Amino acid sequence: MKQRKMHLSSLYLAFVLVLMYLPVLMVVIYSFNDSKSDVSWAGFTLEWYGKMLHNSSLMEALRNSIVLAVSSCAISAVIGTIGAVGLVRCNFKTKGLLENAAMLPIMIPEIILGMVFLAFFSFLNLPFGMMTLILAHTTFCIPYIFIVVKGRLVGIDKSIGEAARDLGASEFRMFFDITLPLVAPAVASGTLLAFAMSLDDVVISFFVTGAQTNTLPIKIYSQIKLGVSPEINALCTVMLVFTFILILISGRVGKTRKNRTISKEEQRR
Amino acid sequence: MKKTARRKKDKAWTMAVPLYLFTIVFVVIPLIYIVVLSFLQKDVLWGVTNQFTLNNYAKMFDPVYGKTFLDSLKLAFATTLITTLMGYPFGYFMARLAPNRRNFVMLLVVVPFWTNALVRIYGWMILLRTKGVLNQALLALGIVDEPIKILYTYGAVLIGMVYSLLPFMILPVYSSVEKMDWSLVEAARDLGAGRIKAFFTVTLKLTLPGVLSGFVLVFVPSIGLFFLADLLGGGKIMLVGNLIKNQLLQARDWPFGAALSVVLMLMTFLIIFLYRKLTHSKDLEGFF
Amino acid sequence: MKKVFALILAAVLAIGTLAGCGTDPAGSSAGQGEGQTKDLNIFTWDGYIPQDVLDGYTEQTGVKINISNFESNEEMLTKLEATGGGDYDIVIASDYIIDIARKKGGIMHELDTSKIANYNNIDAAFQGQFYDPDNQYTIPYAAGTPVIVYDPSLVDIDIQGYEDLWNPALADSIVAMDDGRNLIGMTLKSMGKSFNETDEAVLEQAKNKLMELKPNIRTLAVNQLQDVILSGEASVGYMFASQAAMAVEANPDLKVVYPKEGMGFGIDNIIVPAKAPNLENAYSFINYILDPEVGAKISSQIYYLCPNKAAAEFLPESFTSNAALFIPSEVLKNTEFIQDVGETTAAYDKIWTEFKQQ
Repeated sequence: MKQRKMHLSSLYLAFVLVLMYLPVLMVVIYSFNDSKSDVSWAGFTLEWYGKMLHNSSLMEALRNSIVLAVSSCAISAVIGTIGAVGLVRCNFKTKGLLENAAMLPIMIPEIILGMVFLAFFSFLNLPFGMMTLILAHTTFCIPYIFIVVKGRLVGIDKSIGEAARDLGASEFRMFFDITLPLVAPAVASGTLLAFAMSLDDVVISFFVTGAQTNTLPIKIYSQIKLGVSPEINALCTVMLVFTFILILISGRVGKTRKNRTISKEEQRR
Repeated sequence: MKKTARRKKDKAWTMAVPLYLFTIVFVVIPLIYIVVLSFLQKDVLWGVTNQFTLNNYAKMFDPVYGKTFLDSLKLAFATTLITTLMGYPFGYFMARLAPNRRNFVMLLVVVPFWTNALVRIYGWMILLRTKGVLNQALLALGIVDEPIKILYTYGAVLIGMVYSLLPFMILPVYSSVEKMDWSLVEAARDLGAGRIKAFFTVTLKLTLPGVLSGFVLVFVPSIGLFFLADLLGGGKIMLVGNLIKNQLLQARDWPFGAALSVVLMLMTFLIIFLYRKLTHSKDLEGFF
Repeated sequence: MKKVFALILAAVLAIGTLAGCGTDPAGSSAGQGEGQTKDLNIFTWDGYIPQDVLDGYTEQTGVKINISNFESNEEMLTKLEATGGGDYDIVIASDYIIDIARKKGGIMHELDTSKIANYNNIDAAFQGQFYDPDNQYTIPYAAGTPVIVYDPSLVDIDIQGYEDLWNPALADSIVAMDDGRNLIGMTLKSMGKSFNETDEAVLEQAKNKLMELKPNIRTLAVNQLQDVILSGEASVGYMFASQAAMAVEANPDLKVVYPKEGMGFGIDNIIVPAKAPNLENAYSFINYILDPEVGAKISSQIYYLCPNKAAAEFLPESFTSNAALFIPSEVLKNTEFIQDVGETTAAYDKIWTEFKQQ
């Protein structure tokens, strides 16, 4: 009975995952298509990969996008996580207000947020470029992490924290030894989502970037004169393969590490 | 004893300081700007004039613009409903996997979304076209005799919306199921509750905060994802996001665009508020 | 999980340093004051200037080109205005937005044509238009017209103008550009009015007529309209000439129609922002673009009408024989620009919103 249930749930997971990868698979297949458009299959080619590699502006845009996504996600992970933990634990009158305000960046339509940032940054006289990009992206990345972490914190047993405090744990140690491990899955989920949002954002990025910092989405979305080039399909394929290699390597590393921690835990018991 | 705990508790707020500062500088100030903008007059040529007006809000009572709000809400609710129905079991099953598999599946869920959104939508278009992959498969399997028109329909928009927002439901649900205290479910079952009853009375209730996070993360963006409706729906659905973009770019009426945004935000808050009330999720209780 | 992030971070840093080698730090040397700088900042749609043309310029002059992109003209002007036009040297944008920029004043640099040796290569037919009557600010870069293109094997009627698009035989088979001014304008044209009609009563009639077109619309699209035709998703298209040209190139059986009621027309121009940091390079780039061979290279790759008359002899046969690109001059005479309509913009927007609703 239990065995069969396990089976059904795995089947469901697999089914949804296949659905998620279908469109991406099309992108991969058509990156080898010997035609400028994806209307029909016209034979196999590696032309787009060659073109992509020699397209220096594309490579630069990619680099900018990755640097931007990683930095803004790292900053927002810190601010969002400690913010959520701090907020849940304190009782302020402005707490509810801040909590709602922190969700605002995903509620304000991005085009208007972009225009406001443009006005705001020019008012502050900040030079447009990577710094303004990171500030803007951090703003809309925080809510994703904040909301998910907050959802995780709700209902976590109060007694754990009280026990730790009774045992004299410092605030600092308590955060790193108890709270952080508890919220880690939520921080990871939130950051992964925020990373996807940052990597994809075009509207806000456009308004806050400078003349020398193009990002990948801006480049892709502005290809409206001639249509999106298959080089982009090739690039997406390479990024996908690269990500998977990273995941596989980290899986290997994680596995050995995990085995070690598990055996340690067992010893402790 | 109580006193020390009290004092330590008070220090916790320092952790929220960066969030406070960031929110005030980059969220509240822009928000004030938007609200002010929404009461100004459009300049005939370009930009705005410093003249106070209520016209931008009055204009919204025009049934044409009102319908846009309704259509957007309809689509957003449909999207959220389907996403929850699909995403909840996924997050739930995922949380019940072995830990190392769990992380792997989590990455698998997110990785497709690191591919550019526009490119992914083109992937869907290849699949859904009348002469596309899906129709060819259906024809080959003998399920249909004639290609069905899916692309450029409401159904295609829904598919695209659910697809794009599914991870935003899956991951919050996952993170709340994962931390759940299973002994409570077992206790309920020991007390004679059936599998299904135990799920609805215990599991669902305990994971509701995760669903709430997911609801916010799915519902809110689904109002704004207009480029999806444009590409997969053939541009035949006008959503609020679309309308706002048109005001800023085509009609060059920034104040009206700002007013629409303000109303949209108020509406979103109201819906989230009602949702919280209805589901009785007492939000921030219980931690430490 | 931590490991994954650490690895990703490491990979990013690696990419960063690798790519860093390719991009010289000269990027920050902009604004060295007077004299020759080593940079040129271009602002336009991606792919609008062919890569070989850009490479050719860098090879000739050693100037590094930084391209940044925008999606729409309006975004461009918003940006240019907020930054005081200080970041960019060359902007390529459409006629009507240049008109607005000119009326606002202070945004564009007044060109000194004596610094452009190839200036006389410009076809005068593309100059002196409404957005720059005295040719002070603009250099025409590319021009295009919206046309109707259809697949005769799938369409039973003989399409000659806009009016035919309302034919019930075309039910659910038209792809049209997702652009209010163009579609409402096309409807106005079919009624014998102007693309820039401002009479609200006439607009009301146009709205009612446009609503009747709905059953025939398979899809509205912003880009890659040619693919909608080529994939067989639609059999008739109302699209920009460049898109029609790409469609015809892929399927020569398609028929291009110059609507008999008269066509729209548009010119994208090069402008130089008032505070361009690398002004000298902007001039040398404009001069380079106006070179006959370079001009031919551009037009044949971006599928637009060529405003460089000296380039004509270098244009490939595939370009001059493409019906969407080589439009007879008597047809071109009966065209009209889509211009800013001031207060009436709101009325156009409302019609368009209503049309796009389900």
